[in-house]
Amino acid sequence: MSKRWTGGCQCGAVRYAFSEKPTDACICHCRMCQKQFGNFFGSFAGAHKDKFRVTRGTFSHFKSSDGAERYFCKDCGTPLGMKNLSKEFIFVSIGSLDRHGEFRPENQYGAEARETWLVEVIGTSCSVTGGYPGDDAARLQMIKSTNLQHPDHDTESWPPR
Amino acid sequence: MTPTQWTGGCQCGAVRYELLERPTGAHICHCRMCQKAFGNFFAALVGVPRDKFKLTRGAISNFKSSADVQRGFCRDCGTPLTFDDLTENRISVSIGSLDQHSEYKPQAQYGLESREPWFNEIVALPAHTSGEDASGVTAYAKRLPHFAATNRQHPDHDTDEWPITRK
Repeated sequence: MSKRWTGGCQCGAVRYAFSEKPTDACICHCRMCQKQFGNFFGSFAGAHKDKFRVTRGTFSHFKSSDGAERYFCKDCGTPLGMKNLSKEFIFVSIGSLDRHGEFRPENQYGAEARETWLVEVIGTSCSVTGGYPGDDAARLQMIKSTNLQHPDHDTESWPPR
Repeated sequence: MTPTQWTGGCQCGAVRYELLERPTGAHICHCRMCQKAFGNFFAALVGVPRDKFKLTRGAISNFKSSADVQRGFCRDCGTPLTFDDLTENRISVSIGSLDQHSEYKPQAQYGLESREPWFNEIVALPAHTSGEDASGVTAYAKRLPHFAATNRQHPDHDTDEWPITRK
């Protein structure tokens, strides 16, 4: 496995690499980021665009305003990142990074749109996969054996099967 | 739009949906499948019986992430929209895609085995409003009115036509 800072979408059609560790890990609660990610916030880390390249497929984009382009995979929808068009810095979504666990955010932006109850989510009960009502061991095994998600590392070929 | 509707859609507005009853079971899931599908630390979902979900504009594209589950999104802007377990009579939508998203405070978390170890620290991070950072108001703040004027995101309510023609 490569030592590079790599990532990509869920289906594997799009893969990217940074030649240095992305910085500026953050989350943004603004409604633009919420809607792009279909979530309570977007999460980002990035680097100068010269340190970034797409290694498989294409970053599709939606120009959400004259200020920014937002990237995704057209084949599976994974939100891949965004770029402020006036800057040379490109952000990728933390969840799309293979080594996502190494990008603890340092800041929150868009505080005006932060869900008022976000802090309470942390206090809710959390179960391991298989704990969702109706899940059982057989179902988990089925999901595992038919998993079509691209692994968290580069692969020689795609699609995998 | 009537206030009793439960509507939502993608960022660009090509896909819009309506739920015929108030969705329930709001939760977040940290499993790596949900993380990757949503490009984030977790997915946030809330659901309805399948026959209470109605597509009102455009088409949902799907990626079948394993044998029984397909994940729906907008092919024009990528917004993750649905989680659909084909063996169940129920479909979930992404909370962030709902027009009334703030009404769906999650009641439970799943996928604990892949929850980011620092997840609980997120809400305590330094927080800044749009246009500000740790140094205060940024140069970017001056451009926010321009971004607002050129915003191509679909509003958080149904619209009669799409794409929206800007005056």
